[in-house]
Amino acid sequence: MRWKQFFTPVKSMNSGEAKQLLQDHELTDVQILDVRQPAEYQAGHIAGAILIPLPRLSDSYHLLAKDRPLLVY
Amino acid sequence: MATQQLAGNGFTNAINLSGGFKAWTGQSAFDGEEDGLELFTDLSRPTDVLIMAYSLEEGLQNFYETMVSRAESEEVIKVFTQLAAIEDLHKDRLFKEYTRITGSDDRERFLAKIQKKMLEGGLTTEEYLARFGTDLERVDEVIGMAMSIEGQALDLYSRAAQRAENADNKITLEKIAAEEKTHLEKLGELMDSILGENDG
Repeated sequence: MRWKQFFTPVKSMNSGEAKQLLQDHELTDVQILDVRQPAEYQAGHIAGAILIPLPRLSDSYHLLAKDRPLLVY
Repeated sequence: MATQQLAGNGFTNAINLSGGFKAWTGQSAFDGEEDGLELFTDLSRPTDVLIMAYSLEEGLQNFYETMVSRAESEEVIKVFTQLAAIEDLHKDRLFKEYTRITGSDDRERFLAKIQKKMLEGGLTTEEYLARFGTDLERVDEVIGMAMSIEGQALDLYSRAAQRAENADNKITLEKIAAEEKTHLEKLGELMDSILGENDG
């Protein structure tokens, strides 16, 4: 168990700030990650979001860039 | 929790969207992760991607033109005409990219490859109208629908770019997706200006 992950302070944004973030960056510079289940994703998701359901997340780090902004919901 | 997990694993720029998707007020898309990708998966070259994208843009333009003839309010007709005209610019940029890659500026030959009856985002006109249930006499609803369609297209191109196995196709799809983002921003401005006029 990596306890550190539970104590790492993370940045948080509300919808308006997140929209501004997306507007201020090139499309390929910001990653949007949807960690919900596929059915939820299909019912509606942020345009351009990548789907990696939470259960698959720890096996999927290689699909994401560590250095670029990553908006998670 | 997911954001914390990512931050704890070296994703120093992970940002949590507070309130999650329910709180999101920006552009949404409604396809499953594989939907529409079949349009792009069998394409072997970036030029094929451009031809497919051009087909989709043209389909959307035809849709807007059809709406011009269906709408009754002058204001709505004006907006649909404007939306159709914006697609011309979009198509020009796709052809320019085609010219850059191939060195050929023979548009006739390019147009001969275009597939008819495609709508951007991969749905048909009727599917779109049914899905959005748009009141075609309200300008804000019409622009809202156009933004949804563009958002859908942005999402489709992004997903196709993520899945593209051919590196050149991936770059082309990313470029087209970036174009869609600009397009979406322009529609947002159009919406603001029209709603502003109505308020005044």
